[in-house]
Amino acid sequence: MKGIPTVLITVSPEVSAQMRPPRSLYPKGFKIGNSLGRPGMRDLQKKVLRDALNLLTQDTRPGETTTIEYPEYGEQYEPPRVKKI
Amino acid sequence: MTISRKCVPFTPFDRDLAKSTIAIVTAGGVHLRDQEGFNIADELGDLTYREIPPDVNSTQLMVTHHHYDHTDADQDINVVFPIDALRDLEAEGFIGALAKKHIGYMGYTMQLKAMYEGTAPQIANEIDRGSRADAVILTGG
Repeated sequence: MKGIPTVLITVSPEVSAQMRPPRSLYPKGFKIGNSLGRPGMRDLQKKVLRDALNLLTQDTRPGETTTIEYPEYGEQYEPPRVKKI
Repeated sequence: MTISRKCVPFTPFDRDLAKSTIAIVTAGGVHLRDQEGFNIADELGDLTYREIPPDVNSTQLMVTHHHYDHTDADQDINVVFPIDALRDLEAEGFIGALAKKHIGYMGYTMQLKAMYEGTAPQIANEIDRGSRADAVILTGG
């Protein structure tokens, strides 16, 4: 197997970063359970999906998380933090 | 939990998105209503996964997962498993096609080694050989 290109959409960027995903998009302020946006917001869902797919063709640094803001999402949420041991 | 010491498994993507086949793999506990749900009674988690066909009616999908609030996904599965949104992008010509196979599993486990060494390679194999995907969108809850 030569590997499969992947891109992660994460709403817990600190937590997912621990697993070092090769490419990831954090839609800023989206809550857990809303990776693509809210129910019925198909235009927003498609925008997030397009942005994630576009990361495949961009010159991202391996392991880097790209943060994008989507004001149309509405109320913002704080992502979970990783507890320092 | 500490950061993984394994290197970042970065696979370059050197294709045109408009000619590429895309699969979705979600840890959000998504499966078909007529498939067996994930075992949320097991404190150690469920290491199995479900195959989801590309032409699925999204109203036939549901979530079994007890480690995130999936109320919104119960209304519109696209918030964690964007199958209709991906079909729209195919119709618009943004991507080439949907893969023949998509995958749902329950991304909560206390059996990390078994997940890493068992389930994950099995899913990768489904994607690599079964789905014919050129790239994969990963989502959590």
